[in-house]
Amino acid sequence: MSDAPLVSIKNLHANAGDTPILKGIDLELRPGEVHAIMGPNGSGKSTLSNVLVGKPGYEVTQGEVSFQGEDLVDMDPEIRARAGVFLAFQYPVEIPGVANNYFLRTAVNAVREHRGEDELDAIDFLTLLKEKMKLVEMPEDMMSRAINEGFSGGEKKRNEILQMLLLEPSFCILDETDSGLDIDALRIVANGVNQMRSPDRTMLVITHYQRLLDYIVPDHVHVLSGGRIVKSGDKSLALELEEKGYGWIDGVEEEGVA
Amino acid sequence: MSAFVDAIARAREGLSDRALETPSATLSTRLATLRNEGLAAFDEQGLPNRRDERWKGTNTAKLADLPLDCVGPGVDFDEAVLDELFVADFEADLLFVDGRTVRSSADRDELPKGVLVLSLEEAAAEIPDLVAEKLGALVDLKTDALAALNAGLFEDVAVVSIASNTRPGRAIRILSLSTSAPEASRASFARLLVVAGSGSEAMVVLESATVGQAPGFASIVSEFHVAENAKLISAEIQSGSAERVQVSQIHAALERDARFASNVLCLSEGLVRSEVDATMNAPGGRVGMNGLFLGRGDSHHDHFTTAEHAAPHCESDEEYRGILADSSAGVFRGRVLVRPDAQKTDARQSNPNLLLSEGASIDTKPQLEIYADDVKASHGSTIGQLDEEALFFLRARGIDEATARLVLTRGFAQTFVDGLSDESTRALVADRLDEALTALETAPGEPSA
Ligand SMILES: Nc1ncnc2c1ncn2[C@@H]1O[C@H](COP(=O)(O)OP(=O)(O)OP(=O)(O)O)[C@@H](O)[C@H]1O
Ligand SMILES: [Mg+2]
Repeated sequence: MSDAPLVSIKNLHANAGDTPILKGIDLELRPGEVHAIMGPNGSGKSTLSNVLVGKPGYEVTQGEVSFQGEDLVDMDPEIRARAGVFLAFQYPVEIPGVANNYFLRTAVNAVREHRGEDELDAIDFLTLLKEKMKLVEMPEDMMSRAINEGFSGGEKKRNEILQMLLLEPSFCILDETDSGLDIDALRIVANGVNQMRSPDRTMLVITHYQRLLDYIVPDHVHVLSGGRIVKSGDKSLALELEEKGYGWIDGVEEEGVA
Repeated sequence: MSAFVDAIARAREGLSDRALETPSATLSTRLATLRNEGLAAFDEQGLPNRRDERWKGTNTAKLADLPLDCVGPGVDFDEAVLDELFVADFEADLLFVDGRTVRSSADRDELPKGVLVLSLEEAAAEIPDLVAEKLGALVDLKTDALAALNAGLFEDVAVVSIASNTRPGRAIRILSLSTSAPEASRASFARLLVVAGSGSEAMVVLESATVGQAPGFASIVSEFHVAENAKLISAEIQSGSAERVQVSQIHAALERDARFASNVLCLSEGLVRSEVDATMNAPGGRVGMNGLFLGRGDSHHDHFTTAEHAAPHCESDEEYRGILADSSAGVFRGRVLVRPDAQKTDARQSNPNLLLSEGASIDTKPQLEIYADDVKASHGSTIGQLDEEALFFLRARGIDEATARLVLTRGFAQTFVDGLSDESTRALVADRLDEALTALETAPGEPSA
């Protein structure tokens, strides 16, 4: 694993709306690494991921975030996405009237253009799409349906992974992509993610469950609580949390135990 | 007197009786009656004004003050326009210019047996009695000044007749162009008559467009007679330049177990009054009324629909979607009239609207008049903006904001497009719509400077 971090988060403070949520986060994510973030409900995990992708309504009040050495904070969300930042959303949005395949092609071509690659025409795109869909075991008819409309919870999550496979980002954030999935669906999602593991990619995997980490084995595990990282360790920390909960860690606010 | 009424008065002096002379005495009498009654009814009523409940949403002065020089067919227009408008995928293409049939691609030998697409002159020779019986039968001249004016001044009719149990495989298209030029701003009156025999199934596309950048007025009155167990689908595409006033009035009458679906796509940049009025005269009738209007610039779209349940066990289902950009205004009035006998009526109506800029507006009202007691009727209208969550989602996948707004706006319109079962029609509608959406000056929802 290389030494320069791909993503570097320093003393990050951020508000959601007017409420301070993140209260000083430091993280260095190096290429090839998988980091897991665990933590009680409401501890700020989704806030962190939303801040990283530049969602309107979240404001960085202190600290910095750099990606590939560039300051991320003032970049528009689409610029971040094209540069290689990707969030698989905890609650994927439904968009009636916009066909999945049309959306995916538009997104893929936006990213390709940024990388100086040729646009994919409908046929080349379809070939690529079919290949990636196989990896997440999605039936073809889901592609002509509107984005996430009428999709089950598991199908929505698989659709997020499909987007990740197509866009090939270098910084992948997965926000509870495993929540609510049955074992089969979990295996499919984890396979998709493992496909993406490579020496020049970084993954930030947010989860409540050790189960996922059996499939996607993390290099580092962090506990987020009250907007701060209160403990970091290796994969054994996740096992310990599964067994004992969060109560034993200093600085964890008791009320929000998962 | 208004400029409009002046021009009409001048035109009446020049009216020739030639249009009324046909080989059929019955038809000639009918045409003369329509003209005389139409003009008399117009004199009686005058132009519509805002005191009329049905015109509350529209500034009728724009109509009265419209500078007009002449009425009826113009001569010159650039044939190149046609190349763009004529497309191959239809059973027949009939071209109207300023209310007069000019050219027909309806090769008689190629049309399926039992399908006729004719000008008035041709129809007078072939099916005069049918035309005499049906033409004007669905229009109430006494209460509708603009329909009366049309009846008084039309000179030609596009006649589509579908014999019983006949089903042309492809849609039939009528193209209606209205021309106008600064040196001769023009009013024109076009007319469409569609008669679908029992058990037939057909699709008629009516496309109205304007040629020339000058003020002008175009009226088109369409009548759809849908016999027992027949299924008739109409799709109307209206586009027009900013200075134009376009009035389209669709009337449909359904017999037992008949189905009629009207689809109106309104893209005009000027002032449009679009009426759809469907009457279910016998049990088992089903009416669909779908609309999509895109307002832009200073356009004003006034959509007035009536679903009349005159018999029991009929169903109407209506969805008009409005997209309003720039400083455009939309008006939607959805009238549902359930007559005392019309028990077991099921009437649904909805009007979702998307406002893309602060200067845009929509005035929407359902109008339920229910005189039967065993009736299911629902209606709802919404006014909203683009979904911020969805917008962010698209951006988070690398799509720039302007494109994302366009994609979402197009998505809002998609149910209308999906509602068209005929593939060529759907493709045509999607083309026209995409063209209009991509031409929006400010990206949808972007606060205009
Ligand atoms: N837009 C917002 N405005 C105000 N408060 C917000 C906003 N978004 C999130 N919050 C609050 O911030 C806190 C952290 O929320 P966040 O969604 O980041 O938690 P989480 O760790 O992802 O929780 P979970 O495990 O339930 O997904 C919560 O108290 C939440 O209510
Ligand atoms: Mg969360």
